[in-house]
Amino acid sequence: MIRRTLDRILEQRLTAYVVVSFILFFLLLPLLWMVLSSFKTMSELFQSPPTYWPHDFTLEAYSQAWNKAPLPTYLLNSTIIALVTVAFTLVAGTFTAYGLSQYKFKGSNTVLTLFIFTRVIPPISLILPFYVVFLKLGLINTRTAVIIYTIYLSYPLMVWLLKGFFDDFPRELIDAAVIDGASRTGTLFRIVLPVTILAIMAVAVMAFMWTWNEFLAPYLFINSDELKPLTVGIYYFVGDELTYWNRMSAAGVIAVIPSITFFILAQKYIVKGLTAGAVKS
Amino acid sequence: MRLSDSKYGALLSLPGLILLLVLVLIPSGYLFGLSFLRYDNIRPIKFIGLKNYQYMFDDRVFWLSMKNTIIFSMGSTALTFFVGMALAHGLNAMGKGVAIFRSLTVLPWAVPLVISGFIWAWVFNPAFGVFSDILLKLHLIQEPINIFGNPRLAMVGVIVADAWTRIPFMAILILAGLQAISQELYEAAKVDGADVFDRFAYISVPLNRRPILLGLFTTIMFSFRTVDVIFSMTPGGGVAKSTYLGGVYLFDSIFKYLNFGVAAATGVVIFILTLLIGVGFIRMAFGER
Repeated sequence: MIRRTLDRILEQRLTAYVVVSFILFFLLLPLLWMVLSSFKTMSELFQSPPTYWPHDFTLEAYSQAWNKAPLPTYLLNSTIIALVTVAFTLVAGTFTAYGLSQYKFKGSNTVLTLFIFTRVIPPISLILPFYVVFLKLGLINTRTAVIIYTIYLSYPLMVWLLKGFFDDFPRELIDAAVIDGASRTGTLFRIVLPVTILAIMAVAVMAFMWTWNEFLAPYLFINSDELKPLTVGIYYFVGDELTYWNRMSAAGVIAVIPSITFFILAQKYIVKGLTAGAVKS
Repeated sequence: MRLSDSKYGALLSLPGLILLLVLVLIPSGYLFGLSFLRYDNIRPIKFIGLKNYQYMFDDRVFWLSMKNTIIFSMGSTALTFFVGMALAHGLNAMGKGVAIFRSLTVLPWAVPLVISGFIWAWVFNPAFGVFSDILLKLHLIQEPINIFGNPRLAMVGVIVADAWTRIPFMAILILAGLQAISQELYEAAKVDGADVFDRFAYISVPLNRRPILLGLFTTIMFSFRTVDVIFSMTPGGGVAKSTYLGGVYLFDSIFKYLNFGVAAATGVVIFILTLLIGVGFIRMAFGER
């Protein structure tokens, strides 16, 4: 009887909307709370019970975070670290993935397995070896140290995703171009890349986000304020006695905007790339 | 002279192989090597065999951190799985407007874990946070809940902050799997009198086995090695070390006690446990067919 009733309810299309909206409310509430907090004054922030819509809507937190705290420096560092990582892994990753996908060689499957295996290794375990080596090389407190580590983080995933996209490329087109006298590398640049460019951009976005959001490596490898990226720099707003939640929220909003924008733009490819291995048999 | 196709492929993959060697294989080997050394930054470095492991296994805090890691990882995975499942099935049953709902679902994915910890700490703040306030207004509680003062609740808090960023991936993965299932199967089952529960148990779950397993295992593996949320939400590992995870133990060994040998041994333990989870997954998902 109960089952019958539940069945009737769950058969309704409306139920899906209700359930999803309910979950989304909780999923988006923290984000909304962060955005709202970033527009409040410190005194309003520390009111109990809390206000929801800011009474005195103000951009003060943003201007404070931007002008009085090194927020622009943090942003610049995040951008430099992410861009260098993406540029490097994109170039190296494209060649590797293309070779693994289209020109199989003896042992290419072993290489591929190694790449998957790498994804299973917990980065936190490898952070000590990296730290000790950087210490010896005098690379501690440089962006280079962080970049080397983030390359290790995103490179295997890049190759894996790119290989998936290259696998989908019709082999006949490549063969036809080569028969017509184009070099194999020329074919990659003139035939394959122009077609797969959107997918490759999406993978680049993914790696950018991955690096942009990385916390552990810069937290460990960087001490001076002028080299910190945003994820670590956000600690600037945590005081011994008082945390500037509105400025921190403002910094959080700024940190999240690029990721969210990119993510929405590249969603289709990211989902396709990440789910392909699981859904395809 | 023209290279053969297979040599060309090997040449293209060469930079990748070198990177793997330098950035993954050598550091992994180095980690194992370090774990056999007395490397405490006080006395000269010396080979001491399994002493670091012995030290660690005798350390009550290490076992506490392992217990916490397991609770944390299981809790985060369970929460991620149930919410992700519900979202995926809801989205799959939707008609108009599904694209907007799906885009909204994805948003927390883009939030760095550190920031998630900060946001949730602020949401859960007993005096100024929205969480207690809503429950108070709904008369579900009489007094604000101070989750950070209570060891059990603190664990729930960090689990929520962790799962929050993982739910989108789980939901999208399961949704992609559901969409690959033929609609005709559902129609046929309906004709045969199967209700929602039957269709869930006999079609949606078994035919979606691989995405579900992939989602579960990635979440277990990733949450198993998380520390970011702890750093921002319950710095130092919380009241009575209630949220002191294996990763925090590793960090404290490096930075608080400067004992690289013990840190390496902890790294090896996390390494092996994660690997076992990964191998288990590959076995289950791709083993028997």
